[in-house]
Amino acid sequence: MSRPLEGLRVLDFTHVLAGPFATRVLGDMGADVVKINSADRAVGANDPAHPYYVMWNRNKRALALDLSKEESREICRELCLQADVVIDNFSVGVLDRWGVGFDAISEINTKVIYVQMSGMGDGGPWSEFVTYAPTIHALSGLTHLTGVPGREDIGIGFSYNDHQAGLHGAVAILAAVEARRTTGKGQRVDLSQFEVGANFAGPTLLDYFANGIPARPMANHLPYDVAVPHGCYPCAGATSPAVEDERWVAIACMIETQWDALKGVMGNPDWANATEFSSAKSRVKSVEKLDQQLAQWTQSLTAEDIMNRCQKAGVPAGVVQNAIDLAEHDPQLKDSGFLQQMDPLPGFGMTYADRLPIHFQKTPCEVYERVRQVGEDNREVLKDWLGMQDAEIDKAEAGGLLS
Amino acid sequence: MMVDKKGALAGVRILDLTDERGIYGAKLVADLGAEVIRLEPPDGDPLRKRGPHIDAVTEQESSLWYLFFASNRRFFAVDPESEDGREQIQKLVARADIVLSCPGTFALDAAQLALARQQRPELIVIDTSSFGTKGPWKDFLAPDLIAGALGGFCATTGDVDTSPLKGFGELNFMVSGVYVAIAALASLYHMREKGSGQQVDVSVHECIASCLEHVFMCYWYDDLLATTIPALPRRASLHWSNAYVVMQAIKGSIMITPAPDFDRQLAWLVEVDAFEDLLDEKYADPVNYAATVKRMMEVLRAWVATRDAKELFFEAQSRHAPYGWVLPIEEVAENPQLQARQWWETYSTAGKEISGPGAPYQFSDTPWKMKPAENPETQMQAILADIGWDAEADKETQI
Repeated sequence: MSRPLEGLRVLDFTHVLAGPFATRVLGDMGADVVKINSADRAVGANDPAHPYYVMWNRNKRALALDLSKEESREICRELCLQADVVIDNFSVGVLDRWGVGFDAISEINTKVIYVQMSGMGDGGPWSEFVTYAPTIHALSGLTHLTGVPGREDIGIGFSYNDHQAGLHGAVAILAAVEARRTTGKGQRVDLSQFEVGANFAGPTLLDYFANGIPARPMANHLPYDVAVPHGCYPCAGATSPAVEDERWVAIACMIETQWDALKGVMGNPDWANATEFSSAKSRVKSVEKLDQQLAQWTQSLTAEDIMNRCQKAGVPAGVVQNAIDLAEHDPQLKDSGFLQQMDPLPGFGMTYADRLPIHFQKTPCEVYERVRQVGEDNREVLKDWLGMQDAEIDKAEAGGLLS
Repeated sequence: MMVDKKGALAGVRILDLTDERGIYGAKLVADLGAEVIRLEPPDGDPLRKRGPHIDAVTEQESSLWYLFFASNRRFFAVDPESEDGREQIQKLVARADIVLSCPGTFALDAAQLALARQQRPELIVIDTSSFGTKGPWKDFLAPDLIAGALGGFCATTGDVDTSPLKGFGELNFMVSGVYVAIAALASLYHMREKGSGQQVDVSVHECIASCLEHVFMCYWYDDLLATTIPALPRRASLHWSNAYVVMQAIKGSIMITPAPDFDRQLAWLVEVDAFEDLLDEKYADPVNYAATVKRMMEVLRAWVATRDAKELFFEAQSRHAPYGWVLPIEEVAENPQLQARQWWETYSTAGKEISGPGAPYQFSDTPWKMKPAENPETQMQAILADIGWDAEADKETQI
């Protein structure tokens, strides 16, 4: 059975996480993603034997090009002329310097779509700034807002914005492909990872502009809506005092009936029926006291037990799952087969995939191919995309163009 | 002559039956120019109650949360219990290319999507549920906090002296939302190529678990990394690589990293005579990489504490070092880069115009636009006209 994006050709110059995640999603859905790399550039997170590279570059074919050579750039140019999509997250202007920028290529390949995923976008006083996800989190307000009142900044514990920039990049590509059907033309998409990040504070920014109210970190409380309890609570079952062995459960009573149900789950203790906890608004005023009382109860049970009791009673609750929980104990992920093995990568070992979370009923995405070594698919890609013959490819390899 | 360029998805018709789990996806496609109609009960969409709010004559117009997440929609208030209402909903489904839904949302039963799919195989239906369509947690309730706890977000976020934390706002549902848009557009691509639509299911749980950077990587490949344990606990802003962390400076805090070029960072520290013992040969030996990173961060922390946050940020960026100045929201709102790129858009509600977030991407030929608010009554009439609804004629037909 075919996958939804079969037939779409993507030339991928991206590196690290944001760009490779965009093309990973497209590759998972069947696009022919050709990843350009070279022996010289294959270091650190750009090395196919680095776990970071292994995570974000499955379902792509690997072509090696030594772009310091003019003849390699000519091959690169021919590939761009065959591409539906060219995507990079270099600094602004790198592809232009190689002679394969949008202006040069779109004169001939009028249908090509170029997506540049730079940190700050093309233009503006900060356009040359260098960023990684933690940089963007800091600048966009995500670090400041994700924390606890009166405490040093905490921020998000992983590169959230890299994933989101990648996903937004995939949206942009697919939207530009749809636009091409009516306009008959490709176009250029300028994706600023900073602007993706700032977008996540949407309602908060509107609140600032409309009401002059600057939001502040709220821990797990909702900044604008009344819902108490709404937090993470310690549980029994820790195997050691170390933070990595702690067990926690999240509980969120969004409406009054859920609070009433939670009281029932707890056995209707006297403290929970006190007047100060009788309405959501009054619980907000006494939230610290309520959280302490609730934490005493949660510490008497395991997180899994609390979750199951609460959910059975209609109370939103969930174990705070870490990697071991997700990979070994989560029955829902097991049921859907979300995590799976892929083939081993020579010289690296077994590789694994967290599958695409989109389940297409007619075009299921069931192919998960391991990451490829630098240049592992040179011959197949050059034949498929450019119709090159073996002798031509041999000559290019002998000339050091494909390395 | 000026030509009013259309958005990338102009001409694509989408019916929005989502709740918080999928509404960001509907926003993304609406902002890209698709015609997106959102159904709501006659007394208003419950999501219009979500804060923050502005002063407004009616509650229908006061929610800034709704203004953001339900941007660029056409709204259609309808009673799915009435015969007319059911027929109107089915007519809207009949003219849609794509329906975005979530289990249990308003008007879902009346929409009869399974029947519509049988009658029009080209129809695309994207259904976004908390945990998918089957499995032991299928019916679990999961608002954003619970979704983040079970999906793996919360375990990474927070510090040893805090509880695990959710992200501020709706960060978990904004992950599932963007996958909704991808699912819709990939299905549309397939439909254009092959002529057939399909039912697509998106699991919020899996969406969140797919976007956790190091979490599965450290679990699967910890023997190849410096992380030492397969499930890293929450540890404030310290990145899994140990090489990125927020440090306290004078007048603010700043995210500091010696990556990607440790030698360049060391040279800078030498230049300002703040390198302490970092020139010791042991730190040049790749075998001692983990210890080198640890010591580098200690030295940086002491140095950063003596520097002004803003000045240090700009100096770092002039040296191509990816430091990040930690900005509160009011500084984001005044950011010179966003202003120079004319990023802010005008949102309108309750007779007011408010600056708000612009596009997460800029298209050269098919601009992203924030359309002005339409009069609700005019909008309703226009939608009824679009579906060919003539109340009087329909009554006569029935008689």
